[in-house]
Amino acid sequence: MSSIGQTTRPPLQRSPLRRSLDADRLLTLACVGLPLIGLILFFAYPMVIVFLRSITVGDSYGIGNYTEVLGSAGFWRATRHSLTMGGATTVLSVFLGFIIAQGLYRCAFRGKWLVRGIIVLPLLAPSLVQALGLIFLLGRNGVISRALGVEIEIYGFWGLLIANTLYALPQAVMIIGAALVLLDARTYEAAEVMGASPWRQFRDLTLPAARFGILNAAFVCFTITITDFGNAAVIGGDYSVLATEIYSQVVGQRNFNMGAVVGIMLLLPTVISYSIERQAMKRQQAGQSTGQVAYQPSFAPLRDITMAAVSLVICAGIVAVIGIVVYASFVTLWPYNMSLSLKHYNITLAGGYSSLWMTIVVSLAAAVGGTVAVFLLGLGLRRLPQAIAQPIQILAAMPAAVPGMVLGLAYILTFNSTATPLYLLYGTAALIAIVNFYHYHTQGFLTVMTGFRQLPPALEEAAGSLGAGLGRTARDIVAPFIAPMLVSVFFFLFMRSMVTLSAVVFLTTPKLSVAAVTIMRLDDAGLTSQAAAFSTCVMAVVCVAVLSMKVTIALMGRRSKGAV
Amino acid sequence: MYLTVRDATKTYGTFTALDRVSIEIEKGEFVCLLGPSGCGKTTLLRLIAGLTDLDGGEITLEGATLSDLPARKRDFGIVFQSYSLFPNMSVAENIGYGLKIRGISAKEIAARVTELLELVKLPKMADKLPGQLSGGQQQRIALARAIAVDPRVLLLDEPLSALDAKVRATLRDEIRQVQRSLEIPTLMVTHDQEEALALADKIICMNHGIVVQAGTPEDLYHRPATRFVAEFMGSSNLLATEEVARHFPDLLATYPADKKAYIACIRPEQIAIKPAENGVATVQSISFLGNLQRLELDCPAGPLLVETHGRSPCRTGDSVELSISTEACTWVLDDAEQPETTPA
Repeated sequence: MSSIGQTTRPPLQRSPLRRSLDADRLLTLACVGLPLIGLILFFAYPMVIVFLRSITVGDSYGIGNYTEVLGSAGFWRATRHSLTMGGATTVLSVFLGFIIAQGLYRCAFRGKWLVRGIIVLPLLAPSLVQALGLIFLLGRNGVISRALGVEIEIYGFWGLLIANTLYALPQAVMIIGAALVLLDARTYEAAEVMGASPWRQFRDLTLPAARFGILNAAFVCFTITITDFGNAAVIGGDYSVLATEIYSQVVGQRNFNMGAVVGIMLLLPTVISYSIERQAMKRQQAGQSTGQVAYQPSFAPLRDITMAAVSLVICAGIVAVIGIVVYASFVTLWPYNMSLSLKHYNITLAGGYSSLWMTIVVSLAAAVGGTVAVFLLGLGLRRLPQAIAQPIQILAAMPAAVPGMVLGLAYILTFNSTATPLYLLYGTAALIAIVNFYHYHTQGFLTVMTGFRQLPPALEEAAGSLGAGLGRTARDIVAPFIAPMLVSVFFFLFMRSMVTLSAVVFLTTPKLSVAAVTIMRLDDAGLTSQAAAFSTCVMAVVCVAVLSMKVTIALMGRRSKGAV
Repeated sequence: MYLTVRDATKTYGTFTALDRVSIEIEKGEFVCLLGPSGCGKTTLLRLIAGLTDLDGGEITLEGATLSDLPARKRDFGIVFQSYSLFPNMSVAENIGYGLKIRGISAKEIAARVTELLELVKLPKMADKLPGQLSGGQQQRIALARAIAVDPRVLLLDEPLSALDAKVRATLRDEIRQVQRSLEIPTLMVTHDQEEALALADKIICMNHGIVVQAGTPEDLYHRPATRFVAEFMGSSNLLATEEVARHFPDLLATYPADKKAYIACIRPEQIAIKPAENGVATVQSISFLGNLQRLELDCPAGPLLVETHGRSPCRTGDSVELSISTEACTWVLDDAEQPETTPA
């Protein structure tokens, strides 16, 4: 009977039954160990250094720097400004974000893809592009100011508020939208049958369901506003905030210890905000149920036309601010000679386009290295006991709480010191790639972990029982399964690295610069049109990356069609 | 003895999942681990597979210890309840994966895959992706994948639980057929006593991390050792010794000599009834189950469950005579535990 197995092939080679040195355990240790060493060396250690420097007075430790900073009027003014700006931006962007999310997920009108596409535009450009756009629109020589013949003071609070709101809005829409999607259509049907009016449904169902989303969005908007440097540097004018305060302490006055103190002070609200946000996120996820029926809004003219109009106005604003930058980059001499030319694309600042190529290389390196690192970490953590994995996970999720300015400052304090061999990294492109990766480590790590959570343990166990070791299982089973997540992480890291300014602003040297810093320098030098041209180039690269990501994910989806 | 587990112990914190469990599997034998959920049967299977580490005890295969050998070096085949086919690989790639790891040539793998697809009766499915198959088909492929490498032991972790009743019955027979023809020593975890009775050469009944009784299906059904086994393996009438002494004194003839606390276990189909005026028992209710009927009787010793084949000679409210032969009564230890799943 047993023709199967015996006659058709040679007998399998049995591995001898002996106690073997387990290569898999070593591999697991390497998977967790290497990324962990990275996290300690390039995140934890610099953060310790920045703290130590903040309490260094002369040759000993003390709280002298803190008393000095806390006693200065400049610091309190910057703090007041940061908190006011954070609060105002949060209220405005969450309010507008809720309207747009409500329009996208709870109303019926055409052209939602356009709204979705336009809303994320500010994420594809360095944050200072919004500020540049506002200057071209509302500045002294702005299109609108000249058309209306009025002088608008765009530098300062109002300009910064608009720029920051445009920058925070995409986050608010995405987070609130994700919360609205979670609410089951059947809940609304039940309310409808019970006689609840649309207003009651909104008040009793939609708002409570979106509660955590709104809270979460508020904290995210607050954090990115008080930590953003680009907008404040370009359009803030005399309105100093903590991020510009650190910059002026460090770059202006070469006062590193004071910069460290301000950095630590900036860290306080972001850490608090981030930890509350994480809790809110958990609560929201706990409320999820499976087998949902998606809500399909039906057309209600009064509601939908209003919502479509409001969304359209907001989108028009975003397009105007970003579009004017692209347009201005082609204008021969703003605002006197409005004929189009390419002359601003001839960058006259030292280095020219070299920083753009450098940024692309650095971004690719951060994306490749970062994707591999978070993949290995996720792979290894699955095989560690919870007691060990938990603290590592917490450490891996921490970088998001650290503002880019503070991380950049920590890097310059750590790597510009000849005390350790790490000094060799200072002034290299590698260090810029590294700071970009660790700046956005949390988002990449959490995305990959989401992928790993969807991977059933039985798949790996089945592979193991068939004789596959960890390396083979990772290549044949795990990597294909979470490939879509890895692609997202790769492009996320690439795009953020292309446009980030805050963390890298301290690490560039005259010989080694990155795109966002070049844009800032061009603007500082009064070459606003060249800054616009350079921004346009960066946006073009990022748009190509976005398209590549969409194509890659679509191709992967087609290939695995039919798979669950 | 082919595979032996001696004193296997596994604890999770303060919870003891397995407490010094010892089992044995002979060459070619089909063994079922049976018990309610949480009894430790899956933990035991995972220990044998090498997917979980032992806290104490030893597992040996043909006399050699397995304890320190990782799962991938044990040459075992495993099938999970959740199918667990690799979603990114075709059916043929799934089945051939273990062979590929062992460095078998592509040509040989292809031949073997064709053979196995015939064996599991899905010859045309080679190029399909797992997502395109039904649950039953996926589980057949998972079985083919597990036996492709000619495993030294086949481990089945509730392989039929996720399938609907009809597919379950067909696949149950196919698993039995394949196992018989290939003579692979097989260990299957299940909580379904019917499945265990139909498939196993030997059933190991577990509860609370210990083996309660091991033996042939007939042994466990007709000669349960404890109240737990009696209640878990089908339905039974359990009568306290005093009640037996009062109402069926003849049955005490077989009462064991030791002084432990036994109770009487009488299977419902072993009680003969016939209608009689002024009989000792009254028919409370009758459920018609097609091939048999289940009667609930009210008798002085307490409620009794009786099953009869064919047409029932009585109706609800009738009074009946009972006769129970001495062989029909088994004395089981009263372990005073209610099984979590109440048998129908």
